[in-house]
Amino acid sequence: MDRFLNALASGVISGSLYAIMALGLSIIYGVSRVFNFAHGVVALIGGYLTWMFLTRLGLGLFPSMVLALLILFLAGWLLYHATIRGLLRKPNWEFSTVLFLLGLGILLENVLLQVFGPRVKAIPPFVPFDPTTGLGTLRVGPVITTWHDVLLVLVVVAAVLGLNAFLKWSWTGQAMRAVAASIPGALAVGIDIQRVFALTFALAFLTTGFSGVLLGTKYYMTPHVGWEWMVKGFVIVTFGGLGSTTGAIYAAAILGIVEGLVSLYLAPIWVWPIWFGIFLIVLLLRPQGIAGGRL
Amino acid sequence: MLELRDVSAGYGDMQVLRQVSLRVEEGEAVALFGPNGHGKSTLLKVIAGLHPPASGSIRFRGEEISGLPAHQIVARGLVYIPEERHLFPDMTVTENLRMGAYNPRARRRMKENLDLVFDIFPRLAERRGQLCSTLSGGESRMVAIARGLMSAASLLLVDEPSIGLAPALKGAVFGAIGRINREAGITVLIVEQEIQHALQLCHRYYLFKKGQVLFERSASQADLQEIERAYF
Repeated sequence: MDRFLNALASGVISGSLYAIMALGLSIIYGVSRVFNFAHGVVALIGGYLTWMFLTRLGLGLFPSMVLALLILFLAGWLLYHATIRGLLRKPNWEFSTVLFLLGLGILLENVLLQVFGPRVKAIPPFVPFDPTTGLGTLRVGPVITTWHDVLLVLVVVAAVLGLNAFLKWSWTGQAMRAVAASIPGALAVGIDIQRVFALTFALAFLTTGFSGVLLGTKYYMTPHVGWEWMVKGFVIVTFGGLGSTTGAIYAAAILGIVEGLVSLYLAPIWVWPIWFGIFLIVLLLRPQGIAGGRL
Repeated sequence: MLELRDVSAGYGDMQVLRQVSLRVEEGEAVALFGPNGHGKSTLLKVIAGLHPPASGSIRFRGEEISGLPAHQIVARGLVYIPEERHLFPDMTVTENLRMGAYNPRARRRMKENLDLVFDIFPRLAERRGQLCSTLSGGESRMVAIARGLMSAASLLLVDEPSIGLAPALKGAVFGAIGRINREAGITVLIVEQEIQHALQLCHRYYLFKKGQVLFERSASQADLQEIERAYF
């Protein structure tokens, strides 16, 4: 029973990281119907830039992250106006945006490899911990965890609530939902579609970069691990319902817990086959996902 | 207030509008009659910036607006209410109406306009918290018109507001458009097939066929037989 609860807790922790990681993918798809195949490398860039400002410029963790996320916000905005905007005008935009973003992902992966090298990098945790001495660890009943993991979950919850409040209450957030629901309707009420698309990419890149920072504090980063992150994000957003933020959060929680339990009762090596088994079954039975395409 | 001169437009090689000229004066309600598929909706879309004109001039309050993006035309106070409604299904009635007030001018007057809209459409006040995907066809049409009203427009282009509605609802929708024009002082250009209803609220009408204006008449001198002949 103790082992079960511990596996559940670790599932919740990784599930919350997957949730925030998948959000950026879901927002872009929900608003613009573009699937961002460069998603994983965008997350990695967030992590790597933070790591660089932290270790090379000697900034603190928080300022390093803010700076990295600001750069990603601008990069998303710029990328939209410089490339995606033109591609969306083409008749076969669905295919050309996918190919373009896939190519961009491979290009940036190799840039990361050139700049940072192939060796594993990690961002230090918010609260240092050491299980051997008990430093920074925490015991809740039978569950043993670290303050870092607790903070990770809290930060993710706060970020998700913040993002939902933004989508629900701000003019820009509502305009994003309106564009996601009906482009002709959005045009009729006078929404500047190009501005909304550009802000969507900017906001999604920021969120994705943020998830990369969090993943970098929990796991590790190499220039190649972004593809694994993206595939996980892809499974989550499809499982949850493409374009649905709430669906993505449920899906991430379910898949995180599945991962924790499979790792405990079978072996970590079974996580991916079982994830994809579930994913394919959901895709066959309910192709619109568990929440069905609502931003 | 609105003046079109020799406006032509089409889709690919197909020409839909052939040198259309018309005008709408401030405070007027003007109807466009004519058989379906002859370019009336396209004309409204061209004026609203949703479809590009091939040539010609569109002036709104003395300013050339042809070629401007749709959101800039809305910001100037010219708003199009699409026949297909194009509501936001996963938003509530109030959220849809709030989106109607998206342009900066309208945001300042959102509260008053919301009161006005709920006064004209009491049914929507009852349904304000409901998702638009759960509304009936008539209620959806009311939301579309009300959303257009929220925009603080000075000129509304209304595309077939009564299509597909039950007779009683048609009366309600035309009554609301009449009030919008008379009491709120909003100029209206309306495309309709319900000629009798439309004539009650309009000052003038144009007969539109094969992408061209056939003739223009004052509503007080309406000749129903002449209109009917033009349809065939």
